[in-house]
Amino acid sequence: MNNSTLLDLRGVSKTFGTTTALSPMDLEIERGSFVSIVGPSGCGKSTLFNVLSGLLRPDDGTITLEGNNVIGATGHVGYMLQKDLLVPWRTVLGNITLGARLKGKVTPENRELATGFAEKYGLGEFLNHYPSALSGGMRQRVALMRTLATNHQLLLLDEPFGALDAQTRFEMQQWLLQVWRDTERTVLFITHDVDEAVFLSDRVLVMSPRPGRVVDDLRVDLPRPRTLDTLVSPAFTELKARVLHQLHRERAV
Amino acid sequence: MTKKKLLVNIFGPILSVVVLISIWQSIVVWGHIASYIAPKPLDAVRSVTSNWSTLAPLTWWTIKETVYGYLAGALLGAFLGVILSKIPLMQRVLYPLLILTQAIPIIALAPPLVMILGFGVMPKVVIVAWIVFFPVTVSVLDGLNHVDKDLLTLAKVFGANPLRRFVVLEMPAAVTQLFSGLKIGATYAVTGAIIGELAASSGSSLALYQRSASGALDAAGVYGTTLIMTAIGIVWFLLVVGVEFLATPWQRRSTARRWRRGAKPVLPNN
Repeated sequence: MNNSTLLDLRGVSKTFGTTTALSPMDLEIERGSFVSIVGPSGCGKSTLFNVLSGLLRPDDGTITLEGNNVIGATGHVGYMLQKDLLVPWRTVLGNITLGARLKGKVTPENRELATGFAEKYGLGEFLNHYPSALSGGMRQRVALMRTLATNHQLLLLDEPFGALDAQTRFEMQQWLLQVWRDTERTVLFITHDVDEAVFLSDRVLVMSPRPGRVVDDLRVDLPRPRTLDTLVSPAFTELKARVLHQLHRERAV
Repeated sequence: MTKKKLLVNIFGPILSVVVLISIWQSIVVWGHIASYIAPKPLDAVRSVTSNWSTLAPLTWWTIKETVYGYLAGALLGAFLGVILSKIPLMQRVLYPLLILTQAIPIIALAPPLVMILGFGVMPKVVIVAWIVFFPVTVSVLDGLNHVDKDLLTLAKVFGANPLRRFVVLEMPAAVTQLFSGLKIGATYAVTGAIIGELAASSGSSLALYQRSASGALDAAGVYGTTLIMTAIGIVWFLLVVGVEFLATPWQRRSTARRWRRGAKPVLPNN
């Protein structure tokens, strides 16, 4: 483990009854990197997230985040799902500061931070709006702001754009990359969409089920910032082909 | 709200009441109905105003019984809803008892209550609370049981303890449901108070006033008393709706009310 390692998993495994959801897994995530995880349903992606976030206790292994053992603990990662989970009775500002409220009082500093995020990323005019007045894309932005406002270095994003239409999704992907670059966070990103994984990431992990494990670990060296041109470049197509090939080979077995 | 919508909202209800009263008036006048069978609407109102010195204290008692009983029932109902939802064992133990309370005919509840509490305000308050608490309990229980599980998971990941989860997420999430129970309770509350007065009064009360008016073939008095009771019910219901309106702004508005805002208004860029 070197200095730039943020998250370090050693021999982490989890079984449910007779099903091995996660076979012993070693994984190092570099600070500031963007890592995607692709794989079919039931490959253990969600189990991995639940173990990392502390919702599940692994059967075995160690998880070290910023040098601390975090097994069985919660409150050390930002977490976001496909469902935005905005609460209808709190305004945009109230939703962004929800993490702080859940830990105690919302301080003026929390509010300032939240307002700063919202203004910087196009939600400034909507701070006092209730979520019902927002579009799907905007709701996901608010959900991501809420995740950022918890001030954790590691963000776990579980198919955050899965429910959006293709065009909104592309906008959101570029927006996410901008936010990620500005805030220097580390992102673990689950998706079913191979294009999305390659487009966003520094690294793509391909997982396969029964037992859940990482079968390929792919470095994506496409230049940043990534644009529409990235999507049609030969290098992109090549990487995408490799991921697809891995996914299908695993499925054919 | 647009101007047209506002007009419809204000004049719609007024119009329907006016039409109803006109129908009442025309049936009595053109049907040559005797004044001891059904009064003209205005006569019913006049009977109330001319006897107001007698009726005012009785009305005041009924209002008190309704309000005290309602508040007690609502508090008890909400408390039971929380207990039932948070302690699974209680659902097994208490639920059959709750059903039992509602299966007892309210009229049959009065004699034992009189024996225990006498003829004062208390037995009526208990009867109102008895009727009101049940829909509140059911709605709170329903609301708490249907909080999005993913939201609770998210709170756990954020490191919130169970108490904070309850206060910050579960309670507000159940508020919409809570108010549907409170509104149902509000419509029942006066009925409960009047049943209480009929079954557990020795002295004077609105219900007994009406009964003696009926005995004296004073139709205007009978209808007038009904008008008072109905008015109490409607005003109470509207009060509850008003509280709901203030307490759940997100259901009708796209932005927070000015005094509830946590953020300074941001002027749109020109």
